Amino acid sequence: MALNGNPIDTSQLLKGVLDLAVLAVLAERDSYGYDVLRRLRESGLDAVGDASVYGTLRRLYQAGVLKSYVVPSDEGPHRKYYGLNDRGRSALDQSTKTWGSFTSALDHLLNGRSTANAK
Amino acid sequence: MPNSNQANDIARYAAAVRAALASLPDAERESLLEDLESHLAEVAGESDQSLEERLGKPATYAAELTSAYGAASETGNVPRGARYRDRLWALVSAALGTHAYSEVRAFLPELRAGWWVLRAYLLVLILAFMFRGGLNLRPIPDPFTSGGLLQILATLVAIVLSVRLGRRGMPANRGWRAAAIGVNVGVALLALPVLVSMGTGSTYYGYYADSSDPNLSQASASYYAGFTNIYPYSKDGQPLKDVLLYDQDGLPIVPAANGLTTDVPVGADGLPIQNAYPLTQRDQNGVPVVPPRVALPPWQPSPSPSSTPTPPITTP
Repeated sequence: MALNGNPIDTSQLLKGVLDLAVLAVLAERDSYGYDVLRRLRESGLDAVGDASVYGTLRRLYQAGVLKSYVVPSDEGPHRKYYGLNDRGRSALDQSTKTWGSFTSALDHLLNGRSTANAK
Repeated sequence: MPNSNQANDIARYAAAVRAALASLPDAERESLLEDLESHLAEVAGESDQSLEERLGKPATYAAELTSAYGAASETGNVPRGARYRDRLWALVSAALGTHAYSEVRAFLPELRAGWWVLRAYLLVLILAFMFRGGLNLRPIPDPFTSGGLLQILATLVAIVLSVRLGRRGMPANRGWRAAAIGVNVGVALLALPVLVSMGTGSTYYGYYADSSDPNLSQASASYYAGFTNIYPYSKDGQPLKDVLLYDQDGLPIVPAANGLTTDVPVGADGLPIQNAYPLTQRDQNGVPVVPPRVALPPWQPSPSPSSTPTPPITTP
């Protein structure tokens, strides 16, 4: 999406919401790093970088909102799976509310502007 | 399944990412890169492209990684002060040799008690050195002399006080803390010359009792380092011979071993007389040691016993 001469930097937007996006993906089911990346991209967040996802997973794990376990794999190396723990679930709930009020505020702003323009 | 080419590619790429993050503290870097290899293997397994083609340059990847991970430190629930202190420690330990340093650092608190005891001992040693002029100073004072016994008791009291003081911890007040550090450093520094003087043996004092030699089994003497011979003179400047010298404990004074060979006279009882000065000595080459030239002090004419004490005469 690009506004006239003033494109929104998607990577900047992503930075702010990547935590929430990763938590949401993991809430669906536990995943390993590359799988999280793939699912984020499948959801339409195709600008997300591999290193960002990996770094975010490590950080959320360090912050104590994720559990982690290793699953042996027949093909290739063992995979480290991440999943939400209780703190992760409540962090996701909290962030979802914050995101909701943020987007509705922005929607309100944008809708008001578009109706004003239409007149 | 990655083939060997891919395995090389993964190892190379991971090493480059690690190198790019070399400035991070070890612990932080390791926790960030813990499963980097297995993660890269997943990426590599998806296609035949090289990792650099898919993920960009390792340095760029590393930068993106830290920017995603670094935000964590700002939102983590560790208190800010502690976090910076940890980071500082991590930097210092990285600078000083990582593992070895962290081991030493973990061990340091245990050494503190040792220092409390040592500083008490050193402090008494310094005081003994100051009040007794370093004479007869020994690592362990002789308990059979009053000075030595006093020194031992003082050391024990000082250790008790020092440990009590140490267990209280550092004073909260900044000024007092600086003073406490200053006193500790001062004791350590002052003790150095005292210990060195003891080590060189310039005031060394020891008993000699060689039970392996039947002739010497009863012999006991005070051995002093710092001199090899003594040349006594009478008041009128005449060199004396065979002057027997004894110390305050009544023991013969004998120079400690010094590389010179001494020809010792033997007494009527068959025992050597080691303290008859000047000693007759030869050096390593067998050359006899020549007595030194001495500047004898001019004596004042002694007052006659009947005269009344007069004030010192001042010369114009």
